[in-house]
Amino acid sequence: MSDSIAIHVNRYRPGVDEAPTEQRYDVPMDGDLSVLEALNYIKDEIDPTLAYRWSCRMAICGSCGVMVDGEPRLGCKTFLREFADRGELHVRALDNFPVERDLIADLEGFMDHLAAVKPWMMHDSERAPAEGEYRQTPAELERFQQFSQCINCGLCYAACPQFGRDDSFLGPAALTLALRYNLDSRDDGSAGRMAALNADEGVWRCTFVGYCSEVCPKDVDPAQAVNRGKVASTINYGLNLLRLARGKHDA
Amino acid sequence: MTRKPYRAPQRWNWWLKNPAYRRYLLREATALPLFVYALVLVSGLYRYTQGQLAFTRWLEALQAPGWLVFHAVAVAACVLHAVTWIELVPKLLVVPGISGRSIKRGHQVAALIGSALVDAAALASWPLAGGAS
Amino acid sequence: MKRSNEPIAWGLFGAGGMLLALIGPGLVLATGFLLPFAEPAAAFHAVDALVAHPLGKVLLLAFIALPLYHTVHRLHHGLQELHAPLPHGLVALVCYGSATVLTIASASWLLVR
Repeated sequence: MSDSIAIHVNRYRPGVDEAPTEQRYDVPMDGDLSVLEALNYIKDEIDPTLAYRWSCRMAICGSCGVMVDGEPRLGCKTFLREFADRGELHVRALDNFPVERDLIADLEGFMDHLAAVKPWMMHDSERAPAEGEYRQTPAELERFQQFSQCINCGLCYAACPQFGRDDSFLGPAALTLALRYNLDSRDDGSAGRMAALNADEGVWRCTFVGYCSEVCPKDVDPAQAVNRGKVASTINYGLNLLRLARGKHDA
Repeated sequence: MTRKPYRAPQRWNWWLKNPAYRRYLLREATALPLFVYALVLVSGLYRYTQGQLAFTRWLEALQAPGWLVFHAVAVAACVLHAVTWIELVPKLLVVPGISGRSIKRGHQVAALIGSALVDAAALASWPLAGGAS
Repeated sequence: MKRSNEPIAWGLFGAGGMLLALIGPGLVLATGFLLPFAEPAAAFHAVDALVAHPLGKVLLLAFIALPLYHTVHRLHHGLQELHAPLPHGLVALVCYGSATVLTIASASWLLVR
């Protein structure tokens, strides 16, 4: 393995740059180094002005999402040895989001979409603490557990071309979160979430490209969740036609 | 500190930039030959209503090399459609107790049988011209 | 957020997609390569027999209508994805409209038999 690797990083300084430009850094090559560690090396040893997000460095906080050679990746989970043969790699901020500065994407819109599906437990009636905890069998947990693994890293939004075309689309993670709660036996709030799912910006913007599930670092399979949401929304549509399921958003 | 986020609007050729997107566009593009094929079926039904002579002319027209090439493309498109479609069925058809792999396998078997049945029915329905009458 | 009417189009798209997946390759093979080289009178009478039966009419209509709705749905969304500079409503109207017109026409031809 060569002793150094060239990392081309998109730089963007608001007020100074009109658009992002690439800056090259040569980093000592090491078989164990992740892209995140390389960025830390760049900031510590070469260029302290480089801006990027990171925290846990172990693929659980969701902070370090970037595009590496055109693919949405977590910096902490992407290793330089993958690019050793090429001798170089290109890093830029997550696609489909406004770029705040350098590698920092503005994820406020994503956060708003998460909130739009009411991602919290809703109960038909409140239980007094004296009545004890909500009990759930392993089978009931299994129904939604996969969808609860989302770390809100945003890679699926960078992957989704429908979100890229129009960011009013609620998107993979938000729609998966809706299903996570709808499938949870302790939750009674499915009806309240249907308005978000039923909208054009809900499940219906999705065309099952499936790339979101390919890039998800936690194997959540958002494509499955969104498309199961389409089935639920279609049933809801039929029931609504028969006047059996009306929401506040229906006439 | 004033913010000035950089927004890059999606370009029309976004799908060229990533193999995953190219595969997706290819899958969606199968709709083009299959739409034309559906039109061929409509035209065949219409010619049938015009009587045996018109229908025979339609059959003869389909013998042209151009149409044979088209139908070869349409078969390929239909196979690509079927393969990618059945890949996705387990994501929508989630049945407790039945694995995704079984759902996929089941659909693949059904598809092989389905197409075979249609061809068997066709071969049983009419002898090929030039064969024993 | 307004409720979308997409479920109707999607339902038809799904039915057509499943049909094409389960019998499509065989059907295209049959009509593209076996039918043109069939003995014409026999082929005509085979269609006669199919159309004579009410179930046959339904099957024939399904084999035409469902692939139509399936393909126009993909074409509609595909044109949007390719940023086709066409008014969105117009593309939808032409796509689903043509599928509907052709379906109605086919149904009328079958019903008169």
